[in-house]
Amino acid sequence: MKKILYLIIGLMGLMGCTETVSDAKQETAQPDIYPDYIGVTIPVNIAPLNFNMADEKSLLVDAVMTDSHGNSLHSQGEESVDFDIDDWHQLLAQNTGDSLTVTVSAKYEDGWHTYRPFSIYVSPDSIDYGLCYRLIAPGYEVWSKMGIYERDFSSFDERALIENTQFEGCVNCHSFNRGNPADMSLHIRGPHGATLLRHNDSPLIAYNTKTDQTLGLCVYPYWHPSGRYIAYSTNTTRQLFHSADPNRIEVFDEASDIQVYDVEKNELILSPLVKQDSVYETFPVFSADGRSLYFCKSVECKVDSVEVKINSLRYNLCRIDFDPATGTFGDHIETIIDAASQQKSISFPRPSYDGRFLCYTLSDYGQFSIWHHEADLWLLDLTTGESHPMTGANSDDTESFHNWSSNSRWLVLSSRRDDGLFTRPYFCYVDEHGVVTKAFMLPQRNPRRFYRDRFLSFNVPEFIIAPTHFDGRKASRIINDERRKNFGVRQVPTL
Amino acid sequence: MEKIKHLHLLYTFLFGVAVLLFFGLAYPHHLHYQEQYQLFLFDSTYVWEIVKLPGGVADLLGRFCTQFFLFAWVGAFIIALLLSLIQLLTRRLLNSQFSIVNSQFFYGLTFVPSFLLWLFLLDENALLGGVWAVLFTLLAIWGYVMAPGGWLRRILIIVTLPVLYWIALGGTHYHRYPTVTPYLLYAAWLSAVILPLIVRFKFQVSGSKFRVSGSKVQLSGFKIQGLSFLLVAIVMGAIVWKNANFKAEKVMKYDFMACHQQWNRIFETICLEKPNNQIGVTVQNLALAMQGKLLDRLFDFNQNGIQGLLPDVKEDATSPLPTAEAFYQLGMINVAQRTVFEAQEAILDFQKSGRCYKRLAQTNLINGQYEVARKYLMALQKTLFYRDWANETLPLLGNEKAIASHPEYGRLRQWAYKDDNYFSDHVTPEMLENLYSCNPDNRMAYQYLLAYYMLTGDRERFNQFMSTKQ
Repeated sequence: MKKILYLIIGLMGLMGCTETVSDAKQETAQPDIYPDYIGVTIPVNIAPLNFNMADEKSLLVDAVMTDSHGNSLHSQGEESVDFDIDDWHQLLAQNTGDSLTVTVSAKYEDGWHTYRPFSIYVSPDSIDYGLCYRLIAPGYEVWSKMGIYERDFSSFDERALIENTQFEGCVNCHSFNRGNPADMSLHIRGPHGATLLRHNDSPLIAYNTKTDQTLGLCVYPYWHPSGRYIAYSTNTTRQLFHSADPNRIEVFDEASDIQVYDVEKNELILSPLVKQDSVYETFPVFSADGRSLYFCKSVECKVDSVEVKINSLRYNLCRIDFDPATGTFGDHIETIIDAASQQKSISFPRPSYDGRFLCYTLSDYGQFSIWHHEADLWLLDLTTGESHPMTGANSDDTESFHNWSSNSRWLVLSSRRDDGLFTRPYFCYVDEHGVVTKAFMLPQRNPRRFYRDRFLSFNVPEFIIAPTHFDGRKASRIINDERRKNFGVRQVPTL
Repeated sequence: MEKIKHLHLLYTFLFGVAVLLFFGLAYPHHLHYQEQYQLFLFDSTYVWEIVKLPGGVADLLGRFCTQFFLFAWVGAFIIALLLSLIQLLTRRLLNSQFSIVNSQFFYGLTFVPSFLLWLFLLDENALLGGVWAVLFTLLAIWGYVMAPGGWLRRILIIVTLPVLYWIALGGTHYHRYPTVTPYLLYAAWLSAVILPLIVRFKFQVSGSKFRVSGSKVQLSGFKIQGLSFLLVAIVMGAIVWKNANFKAEKVMKYDFMACHQQWNRIFETICLEKPNNQIGVTVQNLALAMQGKLLDRLFDFNQNGIQGLLPDVKEDATSPLPTAEAFYQLGMINVAQRTVFEAQEAILDFQKSGRCYKRLAQTNLINGQYEVARKYLMALQKTLFYRDWANETLPLLGNEKAIASHPEYGRLRQWAYKDDNYFSDHVTPEMLENLYSCNPDNRMAYQYLLAYYMLTGDRERFNQFMSTKQ
């Protein structure tokens, strides 16, 4: 019996052993690691940035992270480094506003190699509690298992809010008021279609958002900072597929309008200015002060050829006044960026909550930029009116949907740079002058294993400032119940 | 006497052989069908995601066994073995209640659960995990019966019940359709558990007749056993045969042959019996085209207009796959990719498919999307039967020269569209015209295009095309 005990203790000891990096060949280059965390700026409350060697040939990978005070953190693993989560957070907390130096060594068949150290800067600006996203296969028209999930930034924990195993249909367009889950909107599509709304932490209510005066169901929600209104668009959407283009799919509107929903009065507020025939208005978002509504606008191309029609659909960034006191639209539309004249198209405008910037996606045409490999993020300085590409955040592949953290310092962005198809969330820091740092991928315990095994895209990443406390079972009961509250409509004369 | 005592093993063996022959000879493509709608991965995350749910262990074992259905005879053997084990366990339970003499009268009933499970497995969407769940239940009951009485048995119940719930009883994934209640499975389950109790009740009413011991009486008891087996075997065998869906088997056979590119076998099959279902006709036309005979032999066989050539893609997991095979062989790589992707997404129990993963890896490879292809190939490396293929294919990624000289990928790359067009669910002649015009060496596109004109009776375009060609 004693022998068995000793054997078990011995085995456990062996498992806990790390190999000393010895006789290492000193490399002049920095290591090629996956994900690429070299030189990134991170928030203090982020989970450990574990990584793998990119070449997949290493037998062991070793990392030592040191600060200027003499503290250090060490990890070694066969596939990836896996920093102790408590020690990691302690080290980051001791180094806010400072840099950490990471020395990576990797053991190959010919022995150890030690690479030129790189640094990671710990920003004094923290990031929100976590991220809420939809996980779905990057498909066309049919969906398999999918759902809405939340992830705590400080750990690797992921929790399902609701999955389509709980009802028949699909779920999309989750939205929060500046990341506050007390105000939440969620669309359900399919036979049990509904929009679930939670306002001021009140119980969920299932709505039918389709009215006889609007095009169809409300989509693309965006909360007014007061929490009283939600801007929606209604879109008649169609899909076509490319036979040879690297972009697989074209999702485009054949009609679209914008409206604002008054949560307290249960009324949709319409305006003829943003509900024009042969003009496509979409992606409405409120400005930080809630007194403007930004949106994308394109003019219908009246040609027979569907190819010409799709390829010439280009959206400009526009703005219209909105008076939150009366819930009324302004009397004219202002074009903020005329992208169409530059043969470009804008989608997903997102103003920072401090009112300084507006981030948008720029692609060659259309509005469904996730399927456009050329799509990149641009930053509009709202004080100067100047735009520039967010070079630090962009890659050679798709960058599309994005959102600001509640303190407007962090941006989450959807990117397909990893493999060209599966969307992953990345984060970058944007300082008060609009300087954008290099984007880093959402950390995982073993990143390569995690992202390689997951055949799902992270869709519509939204920051959350606290756990959503979303009761999926209760929500599925509401969804499966036939009862729906109808949206009312208020026709508002222009100012 | 000892030999006669073990005669029941012969009956079990006969039953097992019958099951084996049925699934091996009469129903092999149902097994292939099952295999292609799941992807068993030797991966800890995959295993954990299954076993963490109630009924997960039974489900996992069902999935594990189903991967062997790629080889129908192995699959048939597994089913035969499981059903025979269930019969033997049911008999043990019956015998535990009575002396051998007394239970022989009811011996045939010990085959009822296995026959019900056989009936259950006739449905191509019935999952093998259900059979494992019944087996686990019987094992648990048998363990309880064999355990010594008193407190130990009580503890055993307390421990076994929740464990049994977790590994088998609580399962919901025993049928591919989440909304379908597998009544036959439940009937088999209940019969395996309840039959011994019913028989006991029956015995108490009329059992005194059989209480005489002695070799002569025992011998007659074995005759009763044989007759009892024969009766149940004939009745239930007839029910199984009557309920078998041989029509679906034929359709699945065509799909299987197309999947494995058995063009000669397809041609031999259609010459023996002309297919008259959509999948059969689609595969027939594909095989004819692959052999260069489509235009000559088009009207020698049943046709279904365009829907028999390149049917509209439906939102299900089955019907698009043969069409996707035709798209692929034509060089319509993006269309094939989309069709396969959608078919896989439509698998009702959200499983993945080895066949689809393989095709998605191939289409991404041909399109030069190497990182996406790598993702699929690395998943296939975690399988038993697709691993070798994945290992052979991985070195091709990024190796343009090797791909260009590959007999399949090189040809399809050449044949693929060069100019971009939009397509939707419906194949148009323009799609085939563009395909042919970008590579006139594409004999498949040529045949399909002309067949399209011929099937739609579009003489004008046919003549126009022929004059242009001349």
